[in-house]
Amino acid sequence: MSGTPATFEGPVLSTRGLSVLAKKKAILDHIDLDFAPRSLTAVIGPSGCGKTTFVRTLNRMVELTPGLSVEGSVLYLGQNIYDRGVNPVLVRRRIGMVFQRPTVFPMSVFENAAFGLRLIHADEDEIDREVTEGLRRAGLWDEVKDDLNRPALSLSGGQQQRLCIARALAVRPRVLLLDEPTSALDPMATQRVEATMQRLKEDFVLILVTHNVGQAARVSDRVAFLHTGKLIEVGATAEILERPRDPLTEQFITGRFA
Amino acid sequence: MATAVGSAAPLEASEDLRRGETWSIRWRTGFDRWIGFLLPLLFLVAIVPILDVVYYISSKAVPTLTWGVLTSTGDYQLHDALGVPIESTFLFVLLATVIAVVLGLFGGVATAEFLPERAAGWVRMSANLLAGMPSVIVGYFGYFAFCLYFGWGLSFIAGVFTLSFFMTPYIFRTADLAFSSVPRPIREAAYGSGARPTQYILRIGTPIAFPQILTGVFLAMAIGVGETAPIVLTVQPGLLVPPTLTSPATYLTALIWTGFSQPPSVALTIAFQAAFLIIVVVLVLNIAVRIIAARYRKRLEGLYQ
Repeated sequence: MSGTPATFEGPVLSTRGLSVLAKKKAILDHIDLDFAPRSLTAVIGPSGCGKTTFVRTLNRMVELTPGLSVEGSVLYLGQNIYDRGVNPVLVRRRIGMVFQRPTVFPMSVFENAAFGLRLIHADEDEIDREVTEGLRRAGLWDEVKDDLNRPALSLSGGQQQRLCIARALAVRPRVLLLDEPTSALDPMATQRVEATMQRLKEDFVLILVTHNVGQAARVSDRVAFLHTGKLIEVGATAEILERPRDPLTEQFITGRFA
Repeated sequence: MATAVGSAAPLEASEDLRRGETWSIRWRTGFDRWIGFLLPLLFLVAIVPILDVVYYISSKAVPTLTWGVLTSTGDYQLHDALGVPIESTFLFVLLATVIAVVLGLFGGVATAEFLPERAAGWVRMSANLLAGMPSVIVGYFGYFAFCLYFGWGLSFIAGVFTLSFFMTPYIFRTADLAFSSVPRPIREAAYGSGARPTQYILRIGTPIAFPQILTGVFLAMAIGVGETAPIVLTVQPGLLVPPTLTSPATYLTALIWTGFSQPPSVALTIAFQAAFLIIVVVLVLNIAVRIIAARYRKRLEGLYQ
C-alpha cells in the first residue's frame, strides 16, 4: 500500500484547468497545480479568494455544498477523481481532511481515532495498531495514552485538533488537506500543530490552507498564492515570500490587504 | 492621580451624567421597572388556571381512586373499574408510537439528509400543516380512510393508525430538526473521513440526534394519550382486553368524552379518574423528557461551540 506504484512517476495530486462555478460566477478559475510526494504546500490568499473551496475540490468535499459545479480535473495518481464511476467515499479515504475548528465526535479518544477504520470494518488488531500509530504521528500519544477511553470532548482545543489529524491519518491516506487547522487555536497549541505538520510532510503530501503568512513561512516548502479565484503565483516558500514577482502577492505578504 | 481627575474642568452640560436624563430615558427606566412587576403577574395568570384544573380534578379523583379501581377489569359502564381502559390505552399508544416512530424517523432523516432543499421545504410545510390540523379532522380522515375505504370498520386497528397519523408529524419534526442541527463541521468531518451516508447517519448523526428524537417521541406519546377525536370517531367502544385488531376497544379520553354527557354517579366518577390519570401520564412523560435532555446535554457539551 505504501509508496507510489513503480510505474507512476508524476505528482501524487495535480489539478488541470480546475474551475468552480456558483451560478456562472467563477469561485476558482482554471487552476493548474501539482503536488509532489513528501511536500507541504501552503495555499495562501486573502479571505474569499477561494482557497478553502480549492482544497475542498481536492477530495470532492465541495460536492456537499449545494449549488457549486466543478469543471476541469483533479488527478490522483493520474486518475481524475471527478470521472464517472469514481466513488467519492474512496477518494476521501485516500485524501484526508482536517478542518478549521476541531471536529471531534462525541465518543472516546480511541473511538475518534478509530472512526475511519471502523467504517471499512478493519479488524481489531489493525485498529489498535493504526490508532496508536496515528496518535503518535499526530503528536498526541504521550498526552492521551494513559486514558484512551476518556471522552474526546474533554480534551483541549489543540489536543482535539491533533486528534482530528490522528483520525485522518489512521486510514493511511496519501494526501492530507488542512483547512486553516490552527485558526481556532491559541499560540501554544498552534505551535504543536505546526510541529506535527512538519513531521508529517516526511511521509505524506500535505496541503495547508492558511491566511497566516508567518505560518506558511514556518512550515511550508512551497507557496501558492490565490487571489479572486485565480492562481497568481506558485514557487518555493523562500522565493515567493522574499521576492514575489507579482505586485498582488507582494501587497498580501507585506500586509497591505487582508 | 485622583486629584487630577477630580479637579478636572467643570463638565459640559452634555457630559453631566446626572443631567443627561431625558424624558425618553426616564420613560424607558420606568417601563423596565414595571415590566419587573408585570412578568410575575403574567406568570401567575398562566400558572393559576393550570394549578386550578389539576387541583379540581385531583380533588374529585384521588379520594375514589384505589388500587382496586385501577386493576379491576369489570365493565366501566356499570362499576368503577379502570383496568380495561388503562390496558387498551397502553396498547393504543404503544402501537401508534411504533408506527409513528417508523414513519417520522425515516421521514425526518430523509428530509434532513437526502432531499434537495426545495423538496425538504415542502415536506416540512406539510408536516407542520398536519401537526396543526384539528384532531377532529384527522379523526374524520381516519374514519373515511381506514374504517370505510379500507373496510376495517370501527375497530382498534383503525384507531391505532389514526392516532399514529396524529403523532407522526411531532416525531418527524424533532427527527428532522435533530439531524439538521448536527453541526456542519461534524457532518463534513464524518464524510471527510470516508463515511457513506448510511454510516454517517448510524454512527455520528444518530448518537447526536438521539436525545432530541427521544424527546420528540415522549412528547408525541403525551399528545397521543390526551387525544380524543381520532379514537372516538374510528373505534367502536368495547370492553375486550386485549383487543384484537378488528375488535372494539376503549380509551381513557373516550371515557371523559362520554362520561360527562351521561347521567351522574359512575360515569362522572370514572371521567374524573381518567382525566387524573392522563394528567399524571403527561406530567411523567414531560418530566422524563427533561431528565433525558439534562443527562445528554452533559455528554454532548462542547460539541456546539
